[in-house]
Amino acid sequence: MAERPEDLNLPNAVITRIIKEALPDGVNVSKEARRAISQAASVFVLYATSCANNFAMKAKRKTLNAGDVLAAMEEMEFERFLEPLRDALEVYKKDQRGRKEVSEQKRRDKERKADSENDKSREEEEEEEEEEQQRMEEEPEEEAEEEEDDN
Amino acid sequence: MAATVEAPVPAEQDSARCGPEEENRGAEVEEKSQQQQQQTGSTGPAVPHSRLSKLPLARIKALMKTDPDVSLASQESVFIIAKATELFVEMIAKDALVYAQQGKRKTLQRKDLDNAIEAIDEFAFLEGTLD
Repeated sequence: MAERPEDLNLPNAVITRIIKEALPDGVNVSKEARRAISQAASVFVLYATSCANNFAMKAKRKTLNAGDVLAAMEEMEFERFLEPLRDALEVYKKDQRGRKEVSEQKRRDKERKADSENDKSREEEEEEEEEEQQRMEEEPEEEAEEEEDDN
Repeated sequence: MAATVEAPVPAEQDSARCGPEEENRGAEVEEKSQQQQQQTGSTGPAVPHSRLSKLPLARIKALMKTDPDVSLASQESVFIIAKATELFVEMIAKDALVYAQQGKRKTLQRKDLDNAIEAIDEFAFLEGTLD
């Protein structure tokens, strides 16, 4: 299932939207120009990745991190990207933290509920857990796995 | 003219609204919902839980992984590359526009891209890479 770079394009609709938002109203973009920009974007991803990976390897790390990418931007002479990228990263981290807190709160609530149920009869407990499992099916894997652990 | 900078506020609202469904799961699920958003096409900005990146993180990550030297990439790094790519697209479109305008055209054409790539140092890495 290995994907080759040639098979992976960025979605046209999104590329088009980014282009349109960058250009003044009334400007059109030919199909060929759009295709070329999309291709260029893919090349950019590959080049940036390779560059960032060099920094990771230099630091003897196997995992590429945000710092490596920022260092790569500078190396590639895209310093103008650094500030907006740092800002975006802050927002992203905050967003991730917020969602993690929600997930942890849910887990805590569930555990609290499970504890109080230990006082009831076992049958009742199993019934409720089944229902939760059905509901959980629409929800994150993490919680589904925990359900299984309880069983 | 539409703003090119993502406003953080919508993202936070989404985070609160979609709280129960949205968690810090693995990248996969987040990417799926972003892909779904992209598949519904341009039917208005259907805002996914993380409207911070316009480009689907799953696709970006898959692209990154085609590099044999890359073993693992943090979620943050994938996001930053996605964001940088967005900035890159904006930049190259604007730079190419200059050439279209010189040619008194209102339509950006392939040759405008080629001119920009040739003229601008930052785009040197693109030389010879496009069909």
